Amino acid sequence: MTARGPKANYKLGRKVAPYFYLSPSLLVVGLLMLLPMGMVITYSFQESAVLRPDTSFAGFKHYRAIFGDEVFWASLWHTLYFTIASVVAHMTIGLAFALMLNSDRISPMLRSVLRVLYILPWLFTQVIIAVIWRLLLDPNGVVNSILIDLGIIGSKVEWFSSVETALHAVTFANIWAGYPLFMVSLLAGLQGIPKDLYEAADIDGATGPQKLFFITIPQLMPIIVSISLLDFIWTMQVFPLIWLTTGGGPIYATEVLSTYTYKLAFSQYNLAQAAASAVTILLISIGLTLFYIRHQKAR
Amino acid sequence: MAEVVLENICKTYGNSFKAIQNLNLEIADGEFLILVGPSGCGKSTALRMIAGLEDITSGHLYIGGRDVVDMAPKDRDIAMVFQSYALYPHMTVFENIGFSMRLAGKKKAERKQRVDEIAKTLQLTELLDSKPANLSGGQRQRVAMGRAMVREPAAFLMDEPLSNLDAKLRVQMRAEIASLQRQLGVTTIYVTHDQTEAMTMGDRVAVMKGGVLQQVDTPKRLYDAPVNAFVAGFIGSPSMNLFEAELSRGTLQAPGFALQLPDTVLSERPALRGYDGRKIVFGARPEDLYDSTLASGRDHQAIPAEVVTVEELGSEHVVHLRLDAVPVDSGDPDAVEELGGLSNAVARFEPASDVHARSRIDVAVDCSKLHFFDPETHLAIR
Repeated sequence: MTARGPKANYKLGRKVAPYFYLSPSLLVVGLLMLLPMGMVITYSFQESAVLRPDTSFAGFKHYRAIFGDEVFWASLWHTLYFTIASVVAHMTIGLAFALMLNSDRISPMLRSVLRVLYILPWLFTQVIIAVIWRLLLDPNGVVNSILIDLGIIGSKVEWFSSVETALHAVTFANIWAGYPLFMVSLLAGLQGIPKDLYEAADIDGATGPQKLFFITIPQLMPIIVSISLLDFIWTMQVFPLIWLTTGGGPIYATEVLSTYTYKLAFSQYNLAQAAASAVTILLISIGLTLFYIRHQKAR
Repeated sequence: MAEVVLENICKTYGNSFKAIQNLNLEIADGEFLILVGPSGCGKSTALRMIAGLEDITSGHLYIGGRDVVDMAPKDRDIAMVFQSYALYPHMTVFENIGFSMRLAGKKKAERKQRVDEIAKTLQLTELLDSKPANLSGGQRQRVAMGRAMVREPAAFLMDEPLSNLDAKLRVQMRAEIASLQRQLGVTTIYVTHDQTEAMTMGDRVAVMKGGVLQQVDTPKRLYDAPVNAFVAGFIGSPSMNLFEAELSRGTLQAPGFALQLPDTVLSERPALRGYDGRKIVFGARPEDLYDSTLASGRDHQAIPAEVVTVEELGSEHVVHLRLDAVPVDSGDPDAVEELGGLSNAVARFEPASDVHARSRIDVAVDCSKLHFFDPETHLAIR
């Protein structure tokens, strides 16, 4: 046997070291993420998964079942509406507030106060947000009272209990809860835009809105795209806020993919179909994530 | 093209700091004026006030005969080249140059024609589709020039446009900008802290210190006849050597040597007679101090000195000396103390000189070239 030289040992050590450092996190990810994901994928192709020991291969039966279920499609559209409306509103409100907080026209003192006020929704957990909005939007709550006093509505509206308003109401609550992430990120981005770009634009003859569209937004675009994609992925998976405000009702009016899957699993105990639904959500999320990673690499 | 006139321009910040005090300048149509001075002297502030990027606290500013104090930058008919170039990073070279035309609502065909013309002048045609990130420093600088030129302004304002370039490129771009300005004939105000740029590029140079204009003159006049010790010390590289001495019957008496002033010096500067028996500041440019062994044929007097170090540059030797005399601070905040105080004078010797560090030599002084300043006011004595 030939003795290894110090040079060979050093090279081997350099090769192995990264895997050694990564191994604890890889083990945790493997046990807590990859294994359950693999199990769920397996269940989605099994007959009576989990519930009975003698399971058999079911092929795409459960996928056909959920794709043939009207409630699944309603959930998918509700998810898309909820997500797209939330992301667009988060971005618009976040940008508006960030621009306001970055403006020299507001005194530094007022800016500090507003910064704290605007960031408040971010401090609350989804459960607290659900409780706050259930109280505010209660038929006898503050919102109805103010709107009636202002003459905007004639009678009390059951925001979370009416088929017409429930989806808009939960979307509104989610918008309120989520804009601070955009605001903080865009504010950091705004502060990083060199001042002389605006001065050059001033000399070139740009007006305020022209500076916004030709300088500010293009400069913020990498942040806007990154955060929008992340927000899209996160919002699509929202569960507690909807579960605690409407529970997916009334009559599936606010059913989204996460509540639909939950109900299949834990109300109807149809774990195999729930697994098929979860795998569908996983595939959509993977698609978005790949898009996000590609964007990050392009940057 | 237009004349630019600054009349009693003042700039005071909220904390009552006076950045500019009563600045008066008349820049003729087509003239290339350099604003120069050490860091914090107010030169960039003055330029930004002309551009409209800083408010003018008091005074009048005329561009082409119009008082533009209350006008927005875009209405002043000026174009500016920034120190950082301030190119729009997300736009191509074409879009950067044509941006002001786009904002002005010019049609694409018209924009293309004009941008192509400018790109040709600046040798940017091949780069029109590139983004600023893919350009070299010199190319970015040219794009910034192109963006200024496309507006066909009455005046160009340039804020240290070469400071981000390496030394070699700076020399090349210096010549390019000067030649372009002469070709276009546009009134240009150019801010720099580099006195070599100031001396080589402009028709006239305005020297500022602490928000106050010190002297406006041609580069040669500034060099030959500085109005005060600050201008004398600031203009020229290496700086003028300034020492304290007592003037007694036409002789400058320093602690370690004496210099007899020629009659011509006294007759050309009648005010010097008033300083007889009093302290005075005298200055000698590095090129007016010679290696005494090589100074044959020149009218000179020798003074003893110790060589601290020699920088052999090929075309000349820059020799750091220690003279037995009290040096005088010119008031330039950017000036670096000579070799940590070991030397107090700098001379430029011919390359034939074989002086070496730590040797004692006799330095020849051409007394007819000396400059004289009041020890209190630092004003030139003439």
